Amino acid sequence: MLKVCHLYPDLLNLYGDRGNIIAFVQRCRWRGIPVEVLEVNIGEQVDFADVDFLFLGGGSDREQNLMAADLLKRKASLQQAIEEGLVVLAICGGYQMLGQYYLTHEGKQIPGLGILNLYTRAGQQRLIGNVIIEANINGQPVKMAGFENHSGQTFIGDLEPLGKVLSGFGNNGQDGYEGARYKNVFCSYLHGPLLPKNSKLTDLLISLALQRRGMDITLTPLNDDLENSAVEVIVKRYLK
Amino acid sequence: MRIRLIMAIWAAKLAAFLSQKFGWKGSSLPGVVARKLYQGTLRDLASQARKGVIMVTGTNGKTTTNNMIANVIKAGGFRIVVNQEGANLITGVTAAFVRYANWLGRINCDYALLEVDEASFPKVVNEVKPRIVVVNNFFRDQLDRYGELDKTVQLVRDALKSSPNVHLVLNADDPLVAQMQSTTGHQATYFGLASNQRNDGGTKQTRESRFCPHCGQELHYDYYQYSQLGAYSCNGCGFRRPQPDIAADEVETAGTMSRCRVSYPGGAAILSLKTQGFYNLYNALAAFTVGHLLEITTETILVGLLNYTPAIGRMETFIYKNKPAILNLVKNPTGYNEGLATLLNIKGTKNVFMAVNDNDADGRDISWLWDVDFEYLAEHHHNIEGFVCSGLRGEEMALRLKYAGVPLEKISVIKDMEQAIKEALKGPGQTTYLFSTYTALWATQKILLGLADKEVPHAQGLSSVS
Repeated sequence: MLKVCHLYPDLLNLYGDRGNIIAFVQRCRWRGIPVEVLEVNIGEQVDFADVDFLFLGGGSDREQNLMAADLLKRKASLQQAIEEGLVVLAICGGYQMLGQYYLTHEGKQIPGLGILNLYTRAGQQRLIGNVIIEANINGQPVKMAGFENHSGQTFIGDLEPLGKVLSGFGNNGQDGYEGARYKNVFCSYLHGPLLPKNSKLTDLLISLALQRRGMDITLTPLNDDLENSAVEVIVKRYLK
Repeated sequence: MRIRLIMAIWAAKLAAFLSQKFGWKGSSLPGVVARKLYQGTLRDLASQARKGVIMVTGTNGKTTTNNMIANVIKAGGFRIVVNQEGANLITGVTAAFVRYANWLGRINCDYALLEVDEASFPKVVNEVKPRIVVVNNFFRDQLDRYGELDKTVQLVRDALKSSPNVHLVLNADDPLVAQMQSTTGHQATYFGLASNQRNDGGTKQTRESRFCPHCGQELHYDYYQYSQLGAYSCNGCGFRRPQPDIAADEVETAGTMSRCRVSYPGGAAILSLKTQGFYNLYNALAAFTVGHLLEITTETILVGLLNYTPAIGRMETFIYKNKPAILNLVKNPTGYNEGLATLLNIKGTKNVFMAVNDNDADGRDISWLWDVDFEYLAEHHHNIEGFVCSGLRGEEMALRLKYAGVPLEKISVIKDMEQAIKEALKGPGQTTYLFSTYTALWATQKILLGLADKEVPHAQGLSSVS
C-alpha cells in the first residue's frame, strides 16, 4: 500500500494541482498497486515517515501565508523524512517554501523551510506561458511540457535542476534551468499539471516510492499514447 | 462638448462600417475609436437613458441574465440599449451606445442594460452611474488573466462602495455576492433557491469560498446548491444567507424546458423557461427580480422570460436527423461542472463532443480542466456512447477523461473540427451534447448550422403561464 499525502488540498488547489495526485494514483491503480490518499489540512496530524509520496502545491497569497505558518511547524519531521528518501513533488509556492527564503520587492526576507539550498526573489515581470523542458529520467533525455505562472525567480545554486528549458522561462528566465532535484525531492514551476502529461516522471516517482519501501520497482508498461500526444502538441507549437 | 461627441460618434460609426465591410470581428473597435476622440463619449451617451442604467456583473451567466432582463423590459414596452455578447469591456460598452446613437449623438431609450466584465466594472461605473446592479455569482475564472478571486470580488465591492444610490440585486445563495449589501451599505433585493431543488445531487467539486467574507471563520452549510452556493452561516460574526425576497422552489425539467414556482412579495407564480440548467434558474430569478423592481407586472415578466431563447452556446439546441444536439459554452470549472450535471440529467443515451482551445480569449492555461469533476462523469458514463475531443488542446481533454476513469475505448481525438462534430452527431446516442470553449464556439456553431437545423423550442409538457 502506497500512501499519498496531499498537503493542504483545501488551500492549495489552484491551477488544477490535484491533477498531479490523480495521475500518481491512477497510474498505481492501473498496475494493481494499492494506494491510499491522505488529505492533510492545517492543524491536522501527519507522520511524514509513514508517507510514500508527498505533494505540495501552490496557492494564492492569502492561502499561501496560512499554509506557510502551519508548514513551518512541521519542518523537523519533514526534513528528516526527506533526508531518509521521502518522494516529494513541490510545485511553485511549495517549491519556493522548501528553499531558504523569499526576498520581496521591498527587500524583506520571508524565511522558508530551509530544507533545500535555494532561494527565490520577487521579479519585476510575471513569467507566464507554456514551457518545454528536457529532463534526464533514468539516464534518458525526456521532453516534458507544462504551464508556468510565477513572479518569483528561483536560484538553485549547486542543486541539480529538473531540466533544461527548451521553451519558456523556467526558474528565473536567466540561467536556462527549470526546477530542482534533491534526493527524492522534485521541484518545478510547471503546474500545468505536471504529472498527467509527463508520465515518465510520474512512473519515476512511483518507482522511487516503491524502492524506499524495499518493494519490487518493475512497473508494468502502460499505453501512454494520449500522454505523449498531449506533450507533442506543445512541442510542435514551440519547437520548430 | 456636443461637437466633440458628434465627431467621435461619426468616426466610430465609420469604423464600425469599415470593420463590417472587411469582415473583422472586433465588436469593440467603434468604442476604441470613439473613446480616443472623446473621453466623455460613454458618460454623455449613457446619461441619456431616461429611466436609468442597469448593470449585470459576476462570473457566470452575465450574457444570459442580460438577455433575460432585456426580454422582460421589452415585454414591459420599454425601449432599451443593450450591449452584445462578449462586448463587456469598457470599449464594448461604449460601442453599444454608439450603435444606438443617432448622428447628433442622441439616444432614445428608457433603460440601458449592460453586462460588464468584473475587471472592467470599476472603470465602467466610474463613467456610467447605474441605478440597479445585478451580481449573480463569483467563481474562479481564467486566473492567468484576472489573478485571484479575492481581488475580483474586492474590485467590484470597492467600485460599488464609491457609487451612490445603487440598488443591488444579489444572489442570496452565494456568500461572496450576498456580502455586497453590508460591505457597500447599499439597499439590496435578494433572490435564491429553496433547498433540495435538484435531483442530480450536484457534483462534489471544489468550493470557492469556505470562509466567511467578513470574519474569516469557516462557514457552516445546511445544504449546497452547487459550488459555494447554498445555505451558509458563520458562527463567528453571525453572517448568514439572507432570506431571499424572490425565491424559487418546485423546480422541474421537461424536454429542453424547465420551470419552477417563484414567490415574490405579495404572490407566487409559475416561471417557465425554454432552456435547462440549474444555473439558468438563477439567471431567470435575477431577471425576475429586476422586472419586479421596475414595477413591471408579474404576468409581463413571465411572458418576457418565456420568450427568452438561449444565446449562442447557452444550451442552444439543434436537430440532426430527429435527434437533439445541444451546444454548451464552457469557460471555467464551475460552468463545466454544471454543464456535466445538466448532461447527466438528460434521459437516454448520448454522444459527447468536447472542444478545448487555448487562445487568449479561452485562457492560455488549460489547467482548469483538472479542476473540473470529470470523475463524476466517469462514474455515470454508462449512458454515454462515446467522447470525441477536438480543438487546439483536444489531446489534453482526452487525457483528462482518461485519468478521470472514462474507458479508453470510449475516447477519441479528432483534430478536424467538422469531422469531429460529424462523428459525434452520427453516434448511436439519442442526444448529442457539445461542449466548447470560447474561441471554438463560433466554429462549432457554424458547422452545426450546416449539418443540423436550429430548434424552435416549444412549451409542450409544461403548464401554461398564468
